[in-house]
Amino acid sequence: MLPSEKKQGSMLDRLTESVLRRIAGRTSRRDVLTKVGGAVAAAPAFMLLPVSRADAATAKPRPQSPFAAKAQAKDDLACDYWRYCAIDGNLCTSCGGGTHTCPPGTAPSPTSWIGSCYNPQDGNSYMIAYRDCCGQDSCNEVTCLNTDGDQPSYRPMANNDIIWCFGTGTSEMYNCSTAAVVGKAS
Amino acid sequence: MTFPHSRNTKSSRAAILRSLLGGVALLAVTASARADEPIPQTEQSDIATLAPWSPHTLLVVDAAYQHGKDGRAYVVDADKGRLLGMVQAAYNPNVVLSPDASHFFVGETTWERGNRGERNDLLAEYESSTLKIVADEKLPSRALVTPKRNNLAISADGSHVYVYQMSPGSAVEVVDTASHKVTQTVDVPGCALIYPWGNSGFSSLCADGTLANVSIGADGKPSMTHSAAFFEPDHDGIFEQSPSVTKDGMAWFISYTGKVYETKLGADAVVSKPWSLQEGAGMKAAPDSSKPFEVTWRPGGWQMSALHKSNHELYVLMHKGPFWSHKDGGSEVWVYDTETHKRVRRMSLPTPSPMVGVTQDDHPLMFTTDEDTGDFYILDAKTGKQVHKMKALGGSLIFTVAPGEG
Repeated sequence: MLPSEKKQGSMLDRLTESVLRRIAGRTSRRDVLTKVGGAVAAAPAFMLLPVSRADAATAKPRPQSPFAAKAQAKDDLACDYWRYCAIDGNLCTSCGGGTHTCPPGTAPSPTSWIGSCYNPQDGNSYMIAYRDCCGQDSCNEVTCLNTDGDQPSYRPMANNDIIWCFGTGTSEMYNCSTAAVVGKAS
Repeated sequence: MTFPHSRNTKSSRAAILRSLLGGVALLAVTASARADEPIPQTEQSDIATLAPWSPHTLLVVDAAYQHGKDGRAYVVDADKGRLLGMVQAAYNPNVVLSPDASHFFVGETTWERGNRGERNDLLAEYESSTLKIVADEKLPSRALVTPKRNNLAISADGSHVYVYQMSPGSAVEVVDTASHKVTQTVDVPGCALIYPWGNSGFSSLCADGTLANVSIGADGKPSMTHSAAFFEPDHDGIFEQSPSVTKDGMAWFISYTGKVYETKLGADAVVSKPWSLQEGAGMKAAPDSSKPFEVTWRPGGWQMSALHKSNHELYVLMHKGPFWSHKDGGSEVWVYDTETHKRVRRMSLPTPSPMVGVTQDDHPLMFTTDEDTGDFYILDAKTGKQVHKMKALGGSLIFTVAPGEG
């Protein structure tokens, strides 16, 4: 579970976490030890230099796709809302539900596929679970097709064509899609 | 006959005569104009029967995204641009045509009470001439996914229909079309889709970048082999809608960036070194997901490719876009010679289309759609010139099936 906006750590904490996550994703443990060791040794000198502070202030992850570069964080009824970077179908926000809420008369799927979207407001990327709401036919108010990271169905956890209505207790009829934040991706 | 108040009897009679003659002439003209319309008689209701399907008779699948349980498959005469009939094809349906085009099969899903009650996954078989249902089998399951041609397939001799299921494990149900029974369900863990080859085999694309090749032996037992990994799904996935031919097991697997892996499917599938759609058109090859911002011509759409087998021509919907635009409709169709790997034609479309289809005869027609209006375009496949436009044929036209494709 994510901390709320108010409970988030300091800028430095978040930056450190972000940088470490990126390093972890790209390098081996031995590399990390070497680089961290080097950084620790160099830190007393570099931390005093203004240039390092300027670097720190601009070290936000950059948008990783054209969608992310244009995404907005204000209107969850629009297809360019940041967390819809890979959504395919009807926005539940337009069907009587919310970004992580199913409309009345439907039920959320316990399984989903996962996308990774960039939030322009805080400069972080988040893991998004695209859970379908099921049991009524298609809602059709606002329909979007975004495809960041969308892979074919032989990679089902990254595919937005599958009706994710397994085990809902309703029929597998698709009504709309939610986009729940399930963790930080960077 | 008396005419009151006539002072000049002679001139009046002449006028009457002229008037009568005029009336007779008018009647004659009217009768002539309506010569084809018989005088109405008492009629009996009857039912139209379709002639044997020509190469230009085709099935058009409408997934009806806005009300998915009402999907349908239309039978269209592409020479005339006219609808010949339709059958229901409910909820993410799929369609295959028998090799002789005398029958077709619809995979569909219904619930007993509309949106609730017992789920029925069905394989309905229709006679092409009457559109009468001749078999209506209940399946163990079927994958509910926005329909792609390769979720349902038929063997070269029509003896087996293969149904992809995801429940949520991946498997392929094998249906004997003579007994109308599911003879077995073959697990294809980590893989999906069906690219059939010959009379008793199929391949699936897998998450690890390999092909799983399933042979069904004479004893009915399946055996599976895997090819070496030949693509990286994370960086440059292969389109599920890539075309293949069942008779000789040839497939043209097209990647997001536009690499074409010509493959001889079989128990020992052979994947050839890929060639590039862009290079075949005299351009630089497109980069993969490591450079997501680079805008160039790329393949994309839903049914984004079609094959004219005897002409060795690969039709690909192309658009200009960045890497993750693989579902953007094509503004143009680029046609390649599958032997020289060169682009031989480039045709602009009336509107960007998510699907392309082509007939298999010597005077091929090409099909596209406008997904906003549901208009169905029938084009000359050699020039791109519009032959017919069927206005608002359906809600979500996603692919076509024409005789001779398998």
